[in-house]
Amino acid sequence: MHGDERTLKPELADPHDWDLAKQQIDGGFGEGVTDKLVGGLLPVTLEHETSRSFYLVPKDWMDHFENDFGPFTPQSLGTWVGDLSSGRFTFAISVLDRLVGLTKNLIVVSREGAEALTYGKSILKHSVKETGQGLKRGQYVLVMNGNGECLGLAVMSVDTDKLHRLSPKELVAKNVMDVGWYIRRFG
Amino acid sequence: MIERYLALWGEAETLRFLEACERPIRTSIRVNTLKTPIDLLVKRLQSKGVVLEGVPWLAEGYYADFGSISPGSLFEHMLGFYYIQGVPSMTVSRVLNPQPGEMVMDIAAAPGGKTTHMAQMMENSGMIVSIDEDRVRIRSLQGNILRCGVNNTLVLRGDARRLEHLPFHPNRILLDAPCSGEGLIPLDPSRKTSRSMADIRYCADRQQDMLSSAAKVLAEGGSLVYSTCSIAPEENEFVIDDFLKKQPEMKIDDIAIDFGSQGYVRPFGIQLDKSLARARRLLPHEHKTEGFFICRMTKEG
Repeated sequence: MHGDERTLKPELADPHDWDLAKQQIDGGFGEGVTDKLVGGLLPVTLEHETSRSFYLVPKDWMDHFENDFGPFTPQSLGTWVGDLSSGRFTFAISVLDRLVGLTKNLIVVSREGAEALTYGKSILKHSVKETGQGLKRGQYVLVMNGNGECLGLAVMSVDTDKLHRLSPKELVAKNVMDVGWYIRRFG
Repeated sequence: MIERYLALWGEAETLRFLEACERPIRTSIRVNTLKTPIDLLVKRLQSKGVVLEGVPWLAEGYYADFGSISPGSLFEHMLGFYYIQGVPSMTVSRVLNPQPGEMVMDIAAAPGGKTTHMAQMMENSGMIVSIDEDRVRIRSLQGNILRCGVNNTLVLRGDARRLEHLPFHPNRILLDAPCSGEGLIPLDPSRKTSRSMADIRYCADRQQDMLSSAAKVLAEGGSLVYSTCSIAPEENEFVIDDFLKKQPEMKIDDIAIDFGSQGYVRPFGIQLDKSLARARRLLPHEHKTEGFFICRMTKEG
């Protein structure tokens, strides 16, 4: 999902690159999560100048990608999983919903916390209603509201077993991305 | 512009049209069934004070009075549970009626209202090839695809007049063609004076080229829906009339949904293909929507 120049057609993901992405997805959300995320789909990539985007597509789509698209440039396809740049994987917002149910790395926030999150704010102690067990500082968590809807992705700033030591206005998890991005980015 | 409509409709109807253009168009939303059941979203929005009224011919379409709330600011919007979309635009996808598993093409697809609507009708299966040329607008298309949880699209940037370079022969094609926007005067009054006859001729030429390009790649037996947000016959009935002469394998179909009024077969006293009566028009002064033209065609084998 970049604006820079791309290859003319999607390619099967390079195994080495996909392994790098997989290590970071599994590292963030638990062993085996990537395989469950992929299911029966195929990981493919679109190349950019300095990065590549990973997408999941049905296997039969590959038949359409044998030739390039002539004067047309592919921009995105299927389910965007994330981007790899200089060996570092960043999650796509579109994959968060698919991770719910595959991981216990969840943090449930209050209505006020949810609203603040959609303005790009991080999660403070007073807005935390519930967290997964045994989460460590630096670990990814899906941010959920009370209805079980995924609002974004955050990184824990503290171990969950130390949460009780925090005052209400102290940081629990740092906002990485949130659904408010749609409004902030596209109005 | 007014002179053309006086010639087309006469004084009384033109006056009614101009008066209707001064009245605001009701906000409408489409429930995204990829993300939520219709009844659940209706209850949630009603609990927030949004007044909803169903669109008679669209189960997923609602007129929505948000009061003082900005329609795009609710969680339900950010979560992709609904799409703010004009009733004519929702109707276009329903007229094409794409089915699960099919290969569908959406030409001039940005910002993605019709692509995301078709994806929900196709239950996120098959493939939608969504094409747009505009580098900026295509980002809105991608944003809406993500927000609405759509994962059956291939988004391509390029000139839709060169579709023959693509390895696709879709079952259905939707061409909501770039146009003068004369049907959007109720939303943007400046269009009364900002578009000239030269603009309309330019649009009509481009529309012809895009239609021809679409017809080339459409599978035999496939369906093509042509629509514009213009009420100008020069961008609608005249374009289709020329197209049918050049592409005799294309035939106009009846539209199964009951809305709007018939397409014109004798605008400005010029006799056109009589099957154009099967096309539909939505007009601000007749149907209280923005102006729109919708024509469904089949490619015979």
